[in-house]
Amino acid sequence: MLHAQAWQPIVTRTPLGAINQRVVDPFDRLFLQEYPKVVAIAYRVLADRPAAEDVAQEVFLKFHRSFSPDSERASGWLHSAAVHSALNVIRGERRRAQRETAHALDPAQPLIANPERLVEEAEQRREVRRALSRLPQRTAALLMLRHSGLSYAEVATALGIKVGNVGTLLRRAEEALRKEVNRATPE
Amino acid sequence: MRHLSDGTLRRIYDEPLALAAADQAHFDGCGDCKVRFEAIANDARATTALLGVPAFEPQAASALATARARITRDEAARPPRWYERWLNQASPRWRPMATPAVAVLLAAALLTGVAVTGVAQSLVRIFEPHSVTAVQVSPSDFTGTSAVLDYGAVKWLPDAPKLQQLTDASAAQAQSGLPVLTPASLPRGVSGPVSYGVVSHATGSLTFDAARLQASAARAGVHVSPMPSSINGSTLVVNAGPALIEVWGLSADAGQAQVPTLVIAQTRIPTVDSSGATTTQLEDYLLSQPGVPPEIEAQIKAIKDPSTTLPIPIPKGLATSQPVQVNGVQGLMIKAVLGAGVVWVKDGVIYAVGGQLTPDQVLAIATTLH
Repeated sequence: MLHAQAWQPIVTRTPLGAINQRVVDPFDRLFLQEYPKVVAIAYRVLADRPAAEDVAQEVFLKFHRSFSPDSERASGWLHSAAVHSALNVIRGERRRAQRETAHALDPAQPLIANPERLVEEAEQRREVRRALSRLPQRTAALLMLRHSGLSYAEVATALGIKVGNVGTLLRRAEEALRKEVNRATPE
Repeated sequence: MRHLSDGTLRRIYDEPLALAAADQAHFDGCGDCKVRFEAIANDARATTALLGVPAFEPQAASALATARARITRDEAARPPRWYERWLNQASPRWRPMATPAVAVLLAAALLTGVAVTGVAQSLVRIFEPHSVTAVQVSPSDFTGTSAVLDYGAVKWLPDAPKLQQLTDASAAQAQSGLPVLTPASLPRGVSGPVSYGVVSHATGSLTFDAARLQASAARAGVHVSPMPSSINGSTLVVNAGPALIEVWGLSADAGQAQVPTLVIAQTRIPTVDSSGATTTQLEDYLLSQPGVPPEIEAQIKAIKDPSTTLPIPIPKGLATSQPVQVNGVQGLMIKAVLGAGVVWVKDGVIYAVGGQLTPDQVLAIATTLH
């Protein structure tokens, strides 16, 4: 069994009121409001900051080409696109391991007294993402949206399911992930 | 009472306040559910730990700058769409008309729609054109105005209208719900193939917001008249489309500059409903905005019934217009150096026929469409 690393919040959000007063263009306003969540979702899936930022860019560009920023469905679409795009990356990706190792040793990262621990944690994250990529897409998407900090209502909107079903599906998804991780890393 | 489900217990871990009162009462008095909850909470904590990632702070502003640069690059690299090629080639001097002052007037005229929850009960129809009239505009009047002003929140139900290009007549008819119109005969110089453009039906709403307008004006460095309280907070609901456009004379070669030889367009009449502001109040206010030349203001104010008349902009010096009888109604014949066109409204549909043709040829096509 892999040992667990303490969860840390990763997002500092700008107050929406401040954005609304400052930014006139509707797309820019939507971007500034939703980018922290979109990139957080992609980052939670990929555990790779540059890759998550790339996914977030692609998601917003695709949105810009196809939808009005005033659409009431904008947030749900962005969250859904972020998680599915990121999951598609881990399913198809073969180069992530090298990138993440490079990221782990990024000199811009705070100095850490124990580099061996850092490498071990990076390996653990890779293992979990490999397990994640083997789950059904919908199961993995629900799991990652919730663990990226979205509320049950936001998860339901992004996936087109009832809020009342999120708890049950989440519970099953967590069990499925743990089984998959344990299967891959027997004691 | 039955024990709480695993899903409910899982939600208590994340969102304890979302628990219904009856479930809360059961949970408080049920030892079994508390034991199950602890197990579920432990699993949830273990999963959170498994999925943990190092902290980082997203840089939204710099990411937006990157996205904007990509959008600009993509737009520049995109080949022009057929209607953009047509506009650029056919009427380069008309392009200034796309500047905001006129755009506001046209948007007010062309906004169209469906009831919006909450305001539907109090909506009053303020625009539903049954006739057309010419408004002479001078392109040079608009060259100095480039400010984009934000008058308030715009919503589309479900999405903003989109133009789709098709090559098949039956598909165009099915998509638009409008009949594909065919002239009895085509004049010399007009030949196939025909391209079809379909604009989807759309309902949009604009809720005027004085604070938003002032902020955008300050940002653009322009002065705007204060928004009257009769307009601030009012919602306009616009119903527009669908529209069907048939174009002759475009080649398949996207790189080649082209001018269509004949265009036949039809759209269901747009309607505008208002939750408060009247046509006159809106007209007075919008015409007082920066960039609206006094000449245009006078012409629009001279329209007897602005709620049922669609103003058609005629570029001064480049085209002239005169009333004409078409298919039993009064329409507008427009003559230009490049060609001619006729516009009329009948049975809830606005029709337009134009091309590199003489007024007689245009009228012959308009009156023999079937």
